[in-house]
Amino acid sequence: MIFRIFRKELLDTLRDRRTLMTMLVIPILVFPITLNVFMEISNSFQESASAKTMKIGIAGDKSQSYTQQLEAIPAAIGPKKIIAFKDSAALRTAIEADEIQLGLLVPSNAKELSKQQQTITLNWLLDASEVGRSERAELYAASLKANAEAERLQNLGLRPEQIRPLVVNTVNCASDKKMVGQLAGGILPYIFIAFGFIGCMYPAIDLFTGEKERGTIETLLTVPVLRWKILIGKMMVVVCSGMLAASCALMGLFISIEFLDLADNKELLEVIHSILTPYFILSMFALLLPLVIFFAGLMIPIAIYAKSFKEAQSIITPLNIIVVLPSMIGFFPGISLDFTTVFIPVINVVLATKALIAGTLTWPYFLCVFGIMCTLAAMAIAISHKQFGKERNLLL
Amino acid sequence: MISVQNLHKTFALTKQQRKELNTEAKTATAVSDLSFSCQPGRIYSLLGPNGAGKTTTLRMLATLIAPTSGQITINGINALEHPQEARKHIGFLTGSTGLYARLTPLEIIDYFADLYQVAAKDKAERKAYLFDLLNMNDFLHKRIGKLSTGMKQKVSICRTMIHDPSVVIFDEPTSGLDVITAENIIKLIRSCKDQSKTVIFSSHIMSEVDLLCDDLAIIHKGQLKFNDTMSAFRTNMMTNNLTEEFIRIVQMPTPLA
Repeated sequence: MIFRIFRKELLDTLRDRRTLMTMLVIPILVFPITLNVFMEISNSFQESASAKTMKIGIAGDKSQSYTQQLEAIPAAIGPKKIIAFKDSAALRTAIEADEIQLGLLVPSNAKELSKQQQTITLNWLLDASEVGRSERAELYAASLKANAEAERLQNLGLRPEQIRPLVVNTVNCASDKKMVGQLAGGILPYIFIAFGFIGCMYPAIDLFTGEKERGTIETLLTVPVLRWKILIGKMMVVVCSGMLAASCALMGLFISIEFLDLADNKELLEVIHSILTPYFILSMFALLLPLVIFFAGLMIPIAIYAKSFKEAQSIITPLNIIVVLPSMIGFFPGISLDFTTVFIPVINVVLATKALIAGTLTWPYFLCVFGIMCTLAAMAIAISHKQFGKERNLLL
Repeated sequence: MISVQNLHKTFALTKQQRKELNTEAKTATAVSDLSFSCQPGRIYSLLGPNGAGKTTTLRMLATLIAPTSGQITINGINALEHPQEARKHIGFLTGSTGLYARLTPLEIIDYFADLYQVAAKDKAERKAYLFDLLNMNDFLHKRIGKLSTGMKQKVSICRTMIHDPSVVIFDEPTSGLDVITAENIIKLIRSCKDQSKTVIFSSHIMSEVDLLCDDLAIIHKGQLKFNDTMSAFRTNMMTNNLTEEFIRIVQMPTPLA
């Protein structure tokens, strides 16, 4: 009988456009569309920025040395035009008026300082609020600095090694998989939790509050089926919707990575492929299923209690923030699963999923998180059952 | 057959309700000490003004809500101890009954037949019989949301009768319906009587009651003011017409216990 109720409620839910949008369409399309739009905009900005001729003003370069050095920098960095200015005030005015994009202020005694082997201080003048200007200035500065250092070493008759007695390298022993897990592992559980919650929301409201509002609950409760069976049949649809929405969002993200060149680094792609094994997917679903049941168990008592769709929505929507905010903890480095975090719902699933991606999740932690979430899910079902049994909640 | 003894129902009042009702009382009595019985093959009418306790009484009979005290027996089954068993015998239809707008009539009827655990063969026969009787075959595959009020009412009737209940409860079944649509309900109630089913229906319209009922109960503020046959009601009338007599009985002071 539970399966019969589930079948009917699923059919009803799948015919609801609003639920279908939040359960399937938005989760699948949100990442491909937003990432595509973001990348298109970002690329077009980059292209237009690199294609744009940057006007560079120079003041104080009596010997024309720096002008020549700048001229010699290959145009691959971006086209440029060099204009001479008489002083720093004129340079600043031109930058403020956007007549030039970068201004290089060379000290008037640069030649003397060079001869005396003193430090020459160059100043870049720029509007840092404009995208790409600081980066371009740094590139030019690096080239000028390298030239000056090479010239100084030559004058002193030294080789670079002679003034660089020690080089310290850091060797990263972590696997690529672990690095991806630690740095980007937070996004996967975040997506799953956020969409899992949203996916549960509309079916929960529709199947409980909606049934009261439409006046169909009265007849449903007069059938010879135990109320807990009706509750479980409906709850299964809510959980399925949450899992489906979350899975669709992950699928959307996967499509974005595979087909929209989101990760154009081949090595990174290989790491992602090595993470997405059937074992990983099954383990992740095992962690997330009790979490989604827990979500459903949180929403259903509210949906049962609420007298209208609006009322239910106004209570459940803020709950979204309470649930989704902790799931962002996965983005912070340094927080990992331990015997404190393992007991905090939502956070434990995020950290366990992150560790799962990194390949560092141990069985005791996995079982602990799974057990805790199953207990919480069972408690949430018990609360839903209690609310569903109350006459005041069921009849308007 | 329905047998009701000393039925009592009180509801706990929320703070909001206490404020609205301007009362300090923590509970409100909806039904007080009701006793009556409805016989098979007869139509029993529960007549009363709005807020009299009719819907609460019928909801208790349909096992939707539990009484605070008292006894309800449906076809010899104690409905409080064995509600699941009692429900198998009951068909329940209200004027405010909703239907699943995104499903088709066929899907709804199949769903309820399954919930009532109607055997596959009986289901097919009942469906064929009711679809022909109610002239539903033309719109079986259209979504409920696209049907007219009359068509929806037919679906509601079909849903109520799909498991061939021997006790049928109607709570203000014609409320909000036009005369032509209401006629379907009137026909259904008469047909139930002809099939020797036990029928109880509530109404606040005297003319409707006069048209249909064999036995009459008048209820006001949760208490029974009259309980006898319709012919006895007519015979003992002290006013010129049925409506005036109904008002007279409702306004009669309740004798002190």
